Amino acid sequence: MAMTTTAGRAHADPHHIGLVIEHPGPASKRIVTAYGFWVFLLSDIVMFSCFFAAYAVLAGQTAGGPKGSEIFEPRNVAIETVCLLLSSFTCGMASIAADVRNRFWFYLGMAVTCGLGVVFLIIEFREFADLVSRGYGPSRSAFLTAFFSLVGCHGLHVSAGVLWLLTMVAQVFAKGFRADILRRMMCFALFWHALDIIWVAVFSVVYLLGSGA
Amino acid sequence: MPAVRTVEAMMLGKLDWSAIPFDQPIPLIAGAVVLVGILGVLIWVVVKGHLPYLWHEWITSVDHKRIGVMYILLASVMLLRGGSDAIMMRIQQAVAFQSQGYLPPEHYNQIFSAHGTIMIFFVAMPFVIGLMNLIVPLQLGVRDVAFPTLNSVGFWLTATGALLVNLSLVIGEFARTGWLAFPPLSELSYSPGVGVDYYAWSLQISGIGTLVAGINLVTTVLKLRTKGMNYLRMPMFCWTTLASNLLIVAAFPILTATLAMLLLDRYLGFHFFTNEAGGNVMMFMNLIWAWGHPEVYILVLPAFGIFSEVVSTFSGKALFGYRSMVLATMAICVISFMVWLHHFFTMGAGPDVNAIFGIASMIIAIPTGVKIYNWLFTMYGGRIRFETPMLWSIGFMVTFIIGGLTGVLVAVPPADFMLHNSMFLVAHFHNVIIGGVLFGAFAGFEYWFPKAFGFRLDDRWGKLAFWFTFLGFYVTFVPLYVVGMLGMTRRMQHYDVAAWRPWMLVAAAGMAVLTIGVICQIMQLVVSIRNREALRDRTGDPWDGRSLEWATSSPPPVFNFAFNPDVRGEDAYWDMKARAQQQSLEHGGPEYQDIEMPRNSPTGFVCAFFATIMGFALIWHIWWMVILGGIGAFATFVVFAWRDHDEYVIPAEEVAAIDRVNLEERRSLVSMAGAV
Amino acid sequence: MSDQTHMPAGHDLAPGDEEQHSVGARILGYVVGLALALLLTATSFFIAGTDLVWQPSIPVALIVLAIAQMGVHLVFFLHITTGPDNTNNVLALAFGLLVVFLVVGGTVWIMAHLNANMPPMDQIMPMRR
Repeated sequence: MAMTTTAGRAHADPHHIGLVIEHPGPASKRIVTAYGFWVFLLSDIVMFSCFFAAYAVLAGQTAGGPKGSEIFEPRNVAIETVCLLLSSFTCGMASIAADVRNRFWFYLGMAVTCGLGVVFLIIEFREFADLVSRGYGPSRSAFLTAFFSLVGCHGLHVSAGVLWLLTMVAQVFAKGFRADILRRMMCFALFWHALDIIWVAVFSVVYLLGSGA
Repeated sequence: MPAVRTVEAMMLGKLDWSAIPFDQPIPLIAGAVVLVGILGVLIWVVVKGHLPYLWHEWITSVDHKRIGVMYILLASVMLLRGGSDAIMMRIQQAVAFQSQGYLPPEHYNQIFSAHGTIMIFFVAMPFVIGLMNLIVPLQLGVRDVAFPTLNSVGFWLTATGALLVNLSLVIGEFARTGWLAFPPLSELSYSPGVGVDYYAWSLQISGIGTLVAGINLVTTVLKLRTKGMNYLRMPMFCWTTLASNLLIVAAFPILTATLAMLLLDRYLGFHFFTNEAGGNVMMFMNLIWAWGHPEVYILVLPAFGIFSEVVSTFSGKALFGYRSMVLATMAICVISFMVWLHHFFTMGAGPDVNAIFGIASMIIAIPTGVKIYNWLFTMYGGRIRFETPMLWSIGFMVTFIIGGLTGVLVAVPPADFMLHNSMFLVAHFHNVIIGGVLFGAFAGFEYWFPKAFGFRLDDRWGKLAFWFTFLGFYVTFVPLYVVGMLGMTRRMQHYDVAAWRPWMLVAAAGMAVLTIGVICQIMQLVVSIRNREALRDRTGDPWDGRSLEWATSSPPPVFNFAFNPDVRGEDAYWDMKARAQQQSLEHGGPEYQDIEMPRNSPTGFVCAFFATIMGFALIWHIWWMVILGGIGAFATFVVFAWRDHDEYVIPAEEVAAIDRVNLEERRSLVSMAGAV
Repeated sequence: MSDQTHMPAGHDLAPGDEEQHSVGARILGYVVGLALALLLTATSFFIAGTDLVWQPSIPVALIVLAIAQMGVHLVFFLHITTGPDNTNNVLALAFGLLVVFLVVGGTVWIMAHLNANMPPMDQIMPMRR
């Protein structure tokens, strides 16, 4: 074997400069799970960025249809924004309650979060239904296509979040605050907060900038 | 009668008997042969009683090694499918001089679309992901990837995509739009059939699988490393895996979004890329290439990692310029996101935009050049063993430099205006993808096969396969450079220019040589499996390797390492071997402990089952089935979440028994070597 | 990226987790975050609808306010800090943001320049006649 001839020259770390701190080994499951989900969230945000880019490019292409300022209702958007913002807060309360294993506050926090999420979805749905009934559906113009896709994509994420929230509550109800369920709860909280961050971009770029134009 | 028709439309959507191409003998016969083959294998498996074994040990397995092997198997089977498409295209272009050839245009268009789609998404991607899955946890010295069950889900979703693409052969049709389905051709008005839907849905489903694999491997490399495995001690393959999977995580969502927009246009009458109502076709080019260019590096970076491992091992030297290699890898990772416009220089952008993207495209050749020099200097002064993996690596260096140089040529916008969409371009990207990715995949396959299965591959057939593939590659693709210079555009079903004819005949002959190469590869597998006892690798270290995957037995036990290794430097295993020699491998009676491993789970397979149903139903507009598939997928998710025991324990005695056998083998071999 | 930056090796935090605080302190963090976010949101809505400020500055102001609010969310709700236990989380975030800016910025820039090789519209129109 060749190793007998060259082995003598093997050395620990030919490049190491100064103090080297040894890596302590694999991270805990909580860190691994949350980090994986964090990476997923970043990829989700990249996906949203494509819809934002499409909106930015197509926003002016109204093809004779309505402009943003003609169809947006700032009052509704403000209510939606407050709903999501408060739900982010109550979701945070629910995660604290889960960490200290307080069922009452957990259920309360999750229930309020769910309620606010549903109110948000109802307002958004009514806005969409109203636009479609006025003939301003996504097929009307490229601007409306981009608008419906971007806002609708966020809405779909919120719907998925509500479904996940209910599954989460059911798990805690059936199994209690087990370590794996707490890890999922942490991921859910990350997801919900990230949706709120995306909504900040949506209401600023789409609704506020759009209604000014 | 109309009532019957509406019920039928509700139950079957767009699907009816006309979907099966009875009038086209080639796809029908090919489909029938494949179907008979699959049925034959299934019947054989059931009759022989292998089904329980397959189910428990492979289909539901969450072991990263098994999943890696299944990825590679999928890639190999799909390579044969994509290769058959290539053979058909080469024959068509060889005979279709001033005639229609033997493939009608609508069929020829499906073939080149399927060839590109399959080769990129279902050969190159699963091959490199499979190798990363198989090797990276071993190199990092850990027991599994970060999310074992998700890993299985990712694989089965990729397989679903491959299944749907191949289903299009017998039910319906495939896209005729090229492998990227550019609108407006791919819009409903110009492609009313189900071909583009097959394309888009299979890529959406397999894209989710790829994203899952990417998240998994990023987390594995960043968060699961054994003690002492600092970032700058990781083997090069782990670095390239990190870079490649960061690109997957950042780029695949762009593909998902872009295809979602195309599907919204097709299904719900949106106007992203239509000619009407303000839609913008160029948005598609822009977005798809914002994914497409990083994709090139997603494929080739792991191959670079493989070559680094192979060259270093077979030169008997540490990798030259390790830190510059790390830097070059991460530089490529970032710059690859800044060059995508070079795929559409000719589509209207002005000199400022074109110049900046052209310069960025040339800059990315610099870190690649750094890598080439590092490999050359690793070989310089080394004691090189010309085993099969090393041959593939050297073949790669020669071929990839040529491909890279033609790449720098087309990165110059004025030159690109001459060469855009010509056969020169076709020759260029085959030059880098075959010479880079495929050679890399084969090198990795030969190099790590003994680790996965416990015996080496036959040397003679391996070398034959290399030489036929290497020569076949040049005979096939150099003529394509030439006809490109002579003005031939890509994707031509027939042509009337006499000057191109001889070159197309040479290319067809080259394809025959390539085919012999593939046959040699298959022969190599057959011969090696027959002679497996003679080729058995008892040490777990058949190549005198340097990184941790060689520190465990071949094939590794399910838990990989009885003790998580403690790493003290680069080339961790080389270092250990050196120290072990001084201490004559004395362990001093280590204390074995119970090991917890993730329990196997059918989640991945069940997910893929529902994904297949949903994909098929979406393609054919069978809405009730879509809803059924959706409910099934959600139910699977809940059932998975409801599991109480997701791990099982391997008792310490069993770990000890398995590990001692391996240690004995190694000790005897090392002492023999010492005596010599 | 090097051994040296991996100092906190023994100490790492999951994204979203914070250093161990009392429940009261954690709730306070969320309350402060909520108050700041509400303030910034209200300012955004106010500025978008008002004519008290110089009009061309409104888009810039809105974007700045949006970025500030995202920062507030990241710090107070997602607990992303610059601390050594957060290195990996911040690096991943930075890479994600880089890609987002490249995709959005690149797309807008490219799409705005795609007609550079076309003659200007006012020259096409006379030719049509």
